[in-house]
Amino acid sequence: MHPIAWERKWSDRRAATHRAGEKKLKIEGSYEIKAARERVWDLLNDVDVLRDCIPGCESLTPAGPDTFEAELSVGIGMIRGSYSGRVRISDRKKPGSYRLEIEGEGPGGFIKGDATITLQATGESVTTVTVDGDGEVGGMLARVGQRLIGQASKSLMKQFFDCAGKKARG
Amino acid sequence: MTMVGINESVKRREDPRLISGQGKYVDDIRLPGMLHLSLVRSPHAHARIKRVDVSRASKMDGVVAIFTGADLQEQLGSLPAGWVLPDLKQPKHPPLAVDKVRYVGDAVAAVVASAPYLAADAARAVKVTYESLPAIVDAEKATKRGAPILHEGNADAGGAPNNVAFDWEVNGGDYAAAAKKADVVVRERIVNQRLIPNAMEPRGVVADYEPASGQLTMWTSTQIPHLLRLLFALVTGHPEHKLRVIAPDVGGGFGSKLYIYAEEVITGIVAKQLGRPVKWIEGRQENYLATTHGRDHITDVEICGNKDGTITGISCEVNANLGAYLSTFAPLIPTILFGIMLVGVYKLENVKCKVRGAFTNTTPVDAYRGAGRPEATYLVERMVDRFADAVGRDPVAVRRKNMIPAFKRGKAVATGVKYDSGDYKKALDKALEMLDYPKFKVEQRAARKEGKLLGIGFSTYIEICGMAPSAVASSLGAGAGLWESSLVRIHPTGKATVYTGTSPHGQGHYTSMSQIVSSQLGIPMEDVEVVHGDTAAQQFGTGTFGSRSVVVGGSALYMSLQKVVAKARKLAAHQMGVPEKQVQFANGRFVVEDVPDKSMSFPDIALQCYLAKDLPKGMEPGLEAVSFFDPENFTWPFGCHVAVVEIDEETGDTKLVRYVGVDDVGKVINPMIVDGMVHGGVAQGVGQALVEQAVYSNDGQLLSGSMMDYAVPTAEMFPNFETARTETPSPTNPLGVKGAGETGTIAASPAVINAVVDALSHLGVTHIDMPATSEKVWRLIQGAKEERRKARQGSRNGRKR
Amino acid sequence: MVTAQFEYLAPATVAEAARLLSRYKGEAKIVAGGQSLIPLMKLRLAEPKYLIDVSNIKELSGIKEERGGLAIGAATTYDAIGASAVVRKYFPLLAEAAGQVADLQVRNKGTIGGSLAHADPAGDFPAVILALGAELEASSSRATRKISIERFNVDLLTTSLRPSEVLKTVRIPFLAARTGTAYYKFENKASHYAVVGVAAIVTVNASGVCTAARVAVTGAGPKAVRAKRTERILVGKALTASQISTAAKRAGAEIGDFNGDIHASPEYRAHLTVVAAERAITRALGRAK
Repeated sequence: MHPIAWERKWSDRRAATHRAGEKKLKIEGSYEIKAARERVWDLLNDVDVLRDCIPGCESLTPAGPDTFEAELSVGIGMIRGSYSGRVRISDRKKPGSYRLEIEGEGPGGFIKGDATITLQATGESVTTVTVDGDGEVGGMLARVGQRLIGQASKSLMKQFFDCAGKKARG
Repeated sequence: MTMVGINESVKRREDPRLISGQGKYVDDIRLPGMLHLSLVRSPHAHARIKRVDVSRASKMDGVVAIFTGADLQEQLGSLPAGWVLPDLKQPKHPPLAVDKVRYVGDAVAAVVASAPYLAADAARAVKVTYESLPAIVDAEKATKRGAPILHEGNADAGGAPNNVAFDWEVNGGDYAAAAKKADVVVRERIVNQRLIPNAMEPRGVVADYEPASGQLTMWTSTQIPHLLRLLFALVTGHPEHKLRVIAPDVGGGFGSKLYIYAEEVITGIVAKQLGRPVKWIEGRQENYLATTHGRDHITDVEICGNKDGTITGISCEVNANLGAYLSTFAPLIPTILFGIMLVGVYKLENVKCKVRGAFTNTTPVDAYRGAGRPEATYLVERMVDRFADAVGRDPVAVRRKNMIPAFKRGKAVATGVKYDSGDYKKALDKALEMLDYPKFKVEQRAARKEGKLLGIGFSTYIEICGMAPSAVASSLGAGAGLWESSLVRIHPTGKATVYTGTSPHGQGHYTSMSQIVSSQLGIPMEDVEVVHGDTAAQQFGTGTFGSRSVVVGGSALYMSLQKVVAKARKLAAHQMGVPEKQVQFANGRFVVEDVPDKSMSFPDIALQCYLAKDLPKGMEPGLEAVSFFDPENFTWPFGCHVAVVEIDEETGDTKLVRYVGVDDVGKVINPMIVDGMVHGGVAQGVGQALVEQAVYSNDGQLLSGSMMDYAVPTAEMFPNFETARTETPSPTNPLGVKGAGETGTIAASPAVINAVVDALSHLGVTHIDMPATSEKVWRLIQGAKEERRKARQGSRNGRKR
Repeated sequence: MVTAQFEYLAPATVAEAARLLSRYKGEAKIVAGGQSLIPLMKLRLAEPKYLIDVSNIKELSGIKEERGGLAIGAATTYDAIGASAVVRKYFPLLAEAAGQVADLQVRNKGTIGGSLAHADPAGDFPAVILALGAELEASSSRATRKISIERFNVDLLTTSLRPSEVLKTVRIPFLAARTGTAYYKFENKASHYAVVGVAAIVTVNASGVCTAARVAVTGAGPKAVRAKRTERILVGKALTASQISTAAKRAGAEIGDFNGDIHASPEYRAHLTVVAAERAITRALGRAK
């Protein structure tokens, strides 16, 4: 599975036609956390865990029901940027799924993500967390970073779930 | 000292200066007290501007002023379309966005500081709060119900309902009837992808305002100084006679500097507001967003004809992407410059063409080298190949069978225009001879046996140049006449300064125009100065685009030179005491017929004109002439280009291995310059066919936002081009020239794609959209193989039963 | 295209550079050729407060023959590597790859250390140096340590180099007799980065049996990796075209998630990995004499 891929369409095989605007940033991935589903649910909904585990999170302050103001300093390698924005959790169906929206803006542009997070018990004390949604990156990052954005977001998601997995262990 | 004639290859006179760093571009202009302007641009494709907070930015080091769209709404006006089609929707285009941004790169605020770095720093500190809106980037989807609307309100209120800017059509004959009668109708959906022009020098403006005199001077990297002055005056209300526009050295344009741009208005008005010189220089990334793009058509096309290979009609429906606002010539490019070209060089009686121009949340689209003609030529030449394939005939034979026979003076075609002169078979024959087509066919068969994919593609193109006939142009929507004028001023020593309203940006006018002067006056090229690109020097001019400079401007120059020679001859006859008809002018000397030692040189006469002590009765002193030229028709260059490609079957990688180009551009002033333009044009045409594309995400983000992701063709992609010419003079201008700036770009793309499809044709492939990237080709090959496998399996299963 | 403000520092020795790095912890970046970092700074995607220029440090440049291999200073340019007689003699693979990096201007300025430390997922040298089994030497103000290239590439744009360390030397062990090498890349037509690139090193014995193989892939995934499954299939066989083809089919096995972008989808990159591996191995075998 490719957690993030620029979607392409090929109208037919014998005549390949292609046009602008059929490209979308997909945010997809699935991660295994060694803990029971309820435990994982609690972790993923715990502000302290979010603050510790969201890569580059400098502050996360509640601002209304299920909404947080966030200051992020995110980056990979030399590429780094500061974003301030919002994290919103909605459509909570404990312990099975919820919707997560992230939105951040910095001097270089903006990042947005809107995904459904599904938790499935896939073994005894094993939960598979599936992320499925769309993202948008605007500004300089989008214009010069398209080749890196897919792997970068995947790497950041992995950092997050690795961190959550560690918390689950103890 | 070089006496040069017409049709002589001389090296470009401007090059020693330009290639040794002695050029003077806009960024080389440095004025005392000059400020630097940086623009805050939208990262959103479509959003409402909720708030522009300049509080932090305005306190930063070196910041002099910050203007938002609301601050300057009155002064900046709205950028108009310069070509108005019937029922054209013309929504407001504020140079600085006021309430909404409509594409990534739309300017929101202008920051002025004492140094460029400080301006850039402060621009980043301007905090704009946006409410983002859904965006649309696809021209076809944009006009469907439910698409986000860019310009709200009905047409009277300045809106564009359904994002439609115009619906335009051209018809000739009766396509529907032709299709009904035809043996074969072939349909295809063809996408002509969006391109980024990539002039070597991005744009830039310096504006200097003198409050005491009210004089505004602007240096700008433009192809159209005079039109820009006119448009600036109309948009801002600044009086035209108090505005001087200078196009200094301009590092390329390819059509992208042919408009009035927001930055020109903003920089001019800000300089006026502050009473200090202001400079704005575009960066490359900024250029990708803020300078117009080209092409971007989605077309459903049909061609029909008979089994014997006769083509009887062509029809197409086009969705043309115009971007977020109408750029100056945007309505012209996908309509007139496209639709009237749909008969190509063929005896095609029935044409139907509908074009819908759509607003989308993308950078505005306008002319790019060829402008409309490449899109039309690509459709025609691609569909002729599809038709040949459908009737099982050789594409060359089908072309030959349908070609209009040679003609010297005027040929009306189904789209309602009249070609000037043509001999299309001659160009085709010359290309075939250079190529050795039968030998290639043998090689191709052998290559296929070895599993190599070798393909050949033809493009017997025609295009429209010499953009001029003012009456025709204005009846079709032009907002200005398209004639040119010239001023020839002979100095007392016999040297010449000539003034043209055309405005070069790489084409070599300095050389070609000098050559025309040298050939007519018999003075060395070094004795000629060519002045262009300054509204204070030349009374008016339309500029340089559409391969028009030598056709229209060169002809105007030629006419003035004839006037100068006529006056000089009259004076020579007077001073030598012979009747005028006995004086011949050759090689720079006025010689009395049959008395070879009785003569006067051109400089002698020039001096006499200024001394004015012995002039014939009624002759005014001085030696200069002005002429205006407005031709009766456009010019129609044509030719035949052939591409040979080799495809790596495993990877889909396509390599251009041979390229033959025969052009007929009428008479030629400087063959070396024409060759150079053809080479560059071919490179761009091949670039479109194989590698170039501007890619937007669905959200309207430009993903190919730099040269890291937008492939500009480089020398390593090309074999040596084999070029040649045939010469069919144009009867519409005194020089017999047709224009040579765009032929390569127009001809090359279909030739290359036809070659790619030919290489894959034995696999059942019928079409591939540009650019034919290796992945696209690979997928086609995979798909074809898969189908074969299935077919084989199917027939095996059938046998079992 | 203007950078944020930064302070430029030009130390004369590695020790001094390391001291500066530790003094401005996290706020300083090493720059040598500047072919990766400076563009990012101009785009403001990187905004280091201090730039430590190591391009004038003598001990960081140059190629030395040592016992067991070559030592290449981290600030040695691609151009110098490509033109070096010892490199051409012992490591034609390095010269072949150096000649394919970007364009002439980049090759004149860009350095081997910069390429490795930046760890661009589509860089040429991360794969080539990985295939060559190099050992890297890095110094902080406290200590000098050796890092195997195998443990150097960590993830996308991420290496195991610590923020306090200056990359000093790349040590490449000599190749065995009867070893052939090749670098095969499908380049991005715009950037000339690798869409996929494969470096292959094949050693055969007197009877033509492959005794050792190292194959490394770049461009395909988040970092350069060795195609160990392919290597295993190659070793122990007198290689035929079909055996190479079978081995190459496994070249993407270690990639995990293939990159996908506007130039090439993950599926296409997976396919190119196989083709590039086959071509690189075939070429390398042909050169093993």
